[in-house]
Amino acid sequence: MDLSPRHEVENPGELRRKVHRNRRWAVLAATVVLVAAAAFITAQGLRNATLFFRNVDEAVEQRPELGDRRFRIQGRVIPSTVRSESGVTTFQIIHDCVVASVRHTADPPELFASPWIPVVLEGEWISGQAQTAAGIDTHYFQSDRMLVKHTNEYASVNEQRVSEKLPRGFLNDCPFEVPAAES
Amino acid sequence: MAQMPGTKHMTATPATRVLGAVALVAVLLMVLLGLVVSPADVVQGQAVRMLYLHVPSIWIAYGAFVLTSLSSALFLIRSRRRHDGGRHYDRLAGSAAEVGVVFTGITLATGMLWGRVTWGTYWQWDARLTTTVLLFVTYLGYLALRRLPAAPMTRGRRTAVMALVSFVNVPIVHYSVDWWRTLHQKASLSVGRRPEITGEMYWTLLYSTLAVTIVASWLIVHRYRVIRLEELRDEEALEALIASRLKEDDVQA
Repeated sequence: MDLSPRHEVENPGELRRKVHRNRRWAVLAATVVLVAAAAFITAQGLRNATLFFRNVDEAVEQRPELGDRRFRIQGRVIPSTVRSESGVTTFQIIHDCVVASVRHTADPPELFASPWIPVVLEGEWISGQAQTAAGIDTHYFQSDRMLVKHTNEYASVNEQRVSEKLPRGFLNDCPFEVPAAES
Repeated sequence: MAQMPGTKHMTATPATRVLGAVALVAVLLMVLLGLVVSPADVVQGQAVRMLYLHVPSIWIAYGAFVLTSLSSALFLIRSRRRHDGGRHYDRLAGSAAEVGVVFTGITLATGMLWGRVTWGTYWQWDARLTTTVLLFVTYLGYLALRRLPAAPMTRGRRTAVMALVSFVNVPIVHYSVDWWRTLHQKASLSVGRRPEITGEMYWTLLYSTLAVTIVASWLIVHRYRVIRLEELRDEEALEALIASRLKEDDVQA
């Protein structure tokens, strides 16, 4: 039923079509933007999300396949191994009793200073002798991007829970001595 | 819709005024507990205070999307039985989705700020962040679909189907940290899992969830009433047009 006032509008049908057309275009444009955004997010997700990082043990095991490819590695920083010199920070990370030596060339995030903090590093394996807590390694990890991977554990700053910063048994089965934490 | 003497259309009733006051007091107490009473974290320091808004926001968003889905399902069932039935379920679905989108937005914003301080970056395309932003965009699409010009029942059925499809992502968002390796930490609160949060922080988090729930309830009630008022406005405009056309016909006759 057409309810447009006949005396005020010369061509009510055309006016109605125009209003609907304009509104339809606006909605269509918004839909296209949202679909494009969803497609972009899905593409990003498929590329990155499912395997965001490799743990140290996996990265060492997959070293031949990884070659000089960039990837992300995750492990806990051994506190006593951290050294900084001329904008380069060197340290060792450990996961499942496998240790990797790291040479990091960018500024670490603030929380990097926390003992045994888990970090995700972006970079590549470089061939070169490196001394680690587990012995001599043939490669070290060259990184230029560091993300701190904090856990879902929260403890009051007033509590003395330094020993609990490492999950229980984290170092128990390691066949080598891990340098003690300084704090 | 509630009407007060001397006012035509209101979204408030005495009950929702009380609810609003309770929500305000609850939020003030939440701010006090979150910023002053609860301690800093041993690793994250003061940044941990973001927890008290970030975690409750996503829980409320989940809850709002559950409400949207249930209401949408009930609307679909009811509208099959009666041609014009179940529109209140459609309104409830719409108002809950709006609130869910707002709280998903808050989750993303607080998460980005928190991420900058702790991770060292605002954003990473890990599974949790990717699925959460997808959730946000999907429900924005749902709200856009609600604005499409169509007959109310037709629009209601379309949006109800979209709400049910969109909900599939909610458990994916929640379990993404368990199913995939993510930069994002595991869930802070999870059914059947012992929380890894010490006393005062744990209770502040639980209280914040309650406070944000009260705020969300107040918002949903008001958005529901605003949607009802918009429908009334459209119905009144239609009635006025019909009356005007009938009057024109009488004059011509």
